[in-house]
Amino acid sequence: MSDSSSPTLRRRQLPEIPGPVQTLGLLWRRLRKMSTALILLFALAAASVIATFIPQQPLIPSTVAQWLSGEAGPGSAVARAFDWLGLFNVFGSWWFTTLVVLLFTSLTGCLIPRWRGFLRLVRKPPPAGRSLDRLSERREFFTAASPDEALALAASTLRGYRHRRVAAADTASGNQQLAAQRGHAREGASLVFHTAFYLLLAGVIIGKVFGFEGQVNLPEGEAFADTRIAYDLAEPGRLFGLDDHRGFVVELEDFDVSYFPNFTPKDFVSRVRVLEGGEVVREGVTRVNHPFVHDGMKLYQLRFGMAPRIIVRAGATVLFDEKVMLSDAGGGVWTGAAKVSLGGRNADGEAGPQIALDLVFLPDAAVTDRGVPFTRSPEPKNPRLIGELYVGQDLGLDQPIAASSFNRAGGQVVGDPAVLAPGSSVDMANGNLTVEFAELKMWSGFQVTHAPGRWILLFAAILLLAGLIPSLHSYRRRVWVEVVAQGTGSRVVCAGVALQRKATFTEEFATLSDRLRAALPPALTLPEAEGPLHADR
Amino acid sequence: MPTAELAQTSNTLWNIAFLLYIVAMVGYFFRLAFTKVSVEGVSVSTGAGRRVGLAATVVASAGASVHAVSVVQRGLAMDRVPWANMYEYSSLMALLAVVAGLVVVQRRFGYGHLMGFVLALAVLSMTSALLLFAEPGPVVPALQSYWIKIHTSAAMASSSIFMVGFVATALYLVKDTAERRVAAGSGFGPGTVGAAQAGPGSSADVEERPEGFEADGELDQVMVTGLTAQRDALSPVLFPVVPLLVVASFTLAVWRAPMAALIAGSVAALLGASTWYAVPHLPPAARLDNLAYRVIAFAFPIWTFAVMAGAIWAEEAWGRYWGWDPKEAGSFFTWVLYASYLHARSTHGWRGRRAAWIAVVGFVALMVTYYAVNLWVVGLHSYAGV
Repeated sequence: MSDSSSPTLRRRQLPEIPGPVQTLGLLWRRLRKMSTALILLFALAAASVIATFIPQQPLIPSTVAQWLSGEAGPGSAVARAFDWLGLFNVFGSWWFTTLVVLLFTSLTGCLIPRWRGFLRLVRKPPPAGRSLDRLSERREFFTAASPDEALALAASTLRGYRHRRVAAADTASGNQQLAAQRGHAREGASLVFHTAFYLLLAGVIIGKVFGFEGQVNLPEGEAFADTRIAYDLAEPGRLFGLDDHRGFVVELEDFDVSYFPNFTPKDFVSRVRVLEGGEVVREGVTRVNHPFVHDGMKLYQLRFGMAPRIIVRAGATVLFDEKVMLSDAGGGVWTGAAKVSLGGRNADGEAGPQIALDLVFLPDAAVTDRGVPFTRSPEPKNPRLIGELYVGQDLGLDQPIAASSFNRAGGQVVGDPAVLAPGSSVDMANGNLTVEFAELKMWSGFQVTHAPGRWILLFAAILLLAGLIPSLHSYRRRVWVEVVAQGTGSRVVCAGVALQRKATFTEEFATLSDRLRAALPPALTLPEAEGPLHADR
Repeated sequence: MPTAELAQTSNTLWNIAFLLYIVAMVGYFFRLAFTKVSVEGVSVSTGAGRRVGLAATVVASAGASVHAVSVVQRGLAMDRVPWANMYEYSSLMALLAVVAGLVVVQRRFGYGHLMGFVLALAVLSMTSALLLFAEPGPVVPALQSYWIKIHTSAAMASSSIFMVGFVATALYLVKDTAERRVAAGSGFGPGTVGAAQAGPGSSADVEERPEGFEADGELDQVMVTGLTAQRDALSPVLFPVVPLLVVASFTLAVWRAPMAALIAGSVAALLGASTWYAVPHLPPAARLDNLAYRVIAFAFPIWTFAVMAGAIWAEEAWGRYWGWDPKEAGSFFTWVLYASYLHARSTHGWRGRRAAWIAVVGFVALMVTYYAVNLWVVGLHSYAGV
């Protein structure tokens, strides 16, 4: 926060072309200035406001894709410009990283001289008071105590102050003095607050580099092993290798959901068990706000859905037997796709047709008086699965597209849609295929996280708060108590100054001096005054 | 069913509180008009102003008490914390702002005549609650956590205190402009900001008179001088028009309700016009600046804590402590702005008006983070919507 370069110095430097060392020095001085830090903070604020209103790739990639294609947002030209500037991934962009680096450089440049100054200040004893008569907060009275006793008693009343005796020879007035000060907590706490940001940064980096985040969707009765390929979506930290996976197996035993009357879920719970080497080592449940922990990996309940088990046969051959994970289409309706046949080549090398079922699931099916199917409730009271058969050469089933969709334009609808209740089956495609809705299961989506360094973040957060409050609400004050022998007792002068928040010091000083006066034995007789004497103010 | 009855009385009491706030707001504005402030910062209320002020205080306290009972009943009716959707949150924010105003602005700082502005913001917040009304009901699993008690209440408390801080900041900017223009016109140097920071002596001189100090003719004479000059220095057109446009367009954009936009806009216009009229009756700019700083410095650590608690909750509920979800980015944005305000106040060339503008932008950010992000932007916090 110091502005060390004086105007004359700078004027002399400007006309010359500064060398690399000088340039660095100039930049360093510029970075250390508080106004630079303010500009950087504004830039940080601007970055987060951009991220609030422009969709972010890591959060909602589908919306970003819509913006880029011009389906939504300000148009594809603007969106491409945004993309080029990294505005769709603000917090992963090079300029955001630069900003953070600059902020921390500025912070470092600020903190080093401040720490140095603070340590010097703390080590210095409270300074002796000079010309106490000139201070506006000043009080004078007499006591029966001797100067030595008076100072000892005064020391005990200065609670919260650091104080020392100043020998008569060391004061300007030639009287004994008690010098006291308080409020170093302000600067100290501010330094702790600012320094805690390094810890915060360290915690964030450790978590990012050594951590792992993955998502996996699992139908009831099935399991996944903690290996990289098992995850539908994996975001390993740079130093979280393939070997760092624990390899244990998580099985979803069952899943339960209950609903409010307005179709929003009330509670959803997955019962899981962990197997290692084929043996169950841990059983438990995971629900929102209550992750399941095993071996440093946390399993969070993220999402869920219906997973009807569908079996498709061609004659006696089973083409397809899977629990198809359907996704929420709103209003209690679930949709998805069963990718029955990828269209493998036959003996003559000809590609067979691709076959897919477009699925709509109604948990409590009913039909409106206009003949439109709908669901009366989200609970599977009267489940019906509606399947529409698509056959074609190019359904895109071999393409890496979302599990719940396929390229409908690449094939044709064959026959009428089939309506199935659990346990029923129907012949489709002129009896060539039999589609069976074997049973109704559910699927559960988990976030699996390995997050080292969390305690560092927590510690940093505690330090931040512990530093923030005193740095805003503690103030520096200096107080002196001077004593002169007077008759059998002594004359006491108490005076003080406030270095911040002067407005409230008058009252503080009054309380303090009242306490001081009460602590000292009152003078039995009022001695004759020497020199100017003020009445109690 | 007792639960339904509880919810019903809660709604009735809420309406009563709303009306009481409006009455108290009008009373406080009357008191403001009856309060005179000298250039040195001595504020005195006339006898009538004192009586109206007392009545307004009673009505505002009654409104807050009735409101508190309403909130508790709603909580009991649902058997959960009564701050889990936007209606409840806006309503509680208004209550806390009124309480913070009564405790800090009126009692601690003795600026009872400024309470009209605090109540006006509370009334606006209550109006937004009306627009967002939701029948009492249970909450989604993500909100079923004890963290809602910690994170959301801290966010709410600090928001309402920031609201009081915004009143002080906005009034400071207005008063400072008036003081500067009058000073520039008369050639008597700048406003009071420099004077109050000159040393302990000058601020001791502008000590507030005790509540209810009766004005005598002589003092009146002194204070009338230069008072209307401050009002004349400001545009009587801009003051009602700008708040009208801002609030009406915000309401229209967020709720698409023309009628509500008209009403809210009119309230804002009235508020702006009152501010213009009230300029000579406001405390000196330096005092308002100090009040704003004290209030914001109090709210800032609470907001910091709210953001941290939110991160801990996010870690527990979603498996990551920070994901730059729109709400997270927005609250970080607000935090950075208020942090900048605190830094700017101790930076040469930034303290005073520039710092105050940062605080104004900070408050706008807070409101945008709350209303616009919840209602416009899809994110993980969207369930907290209407």
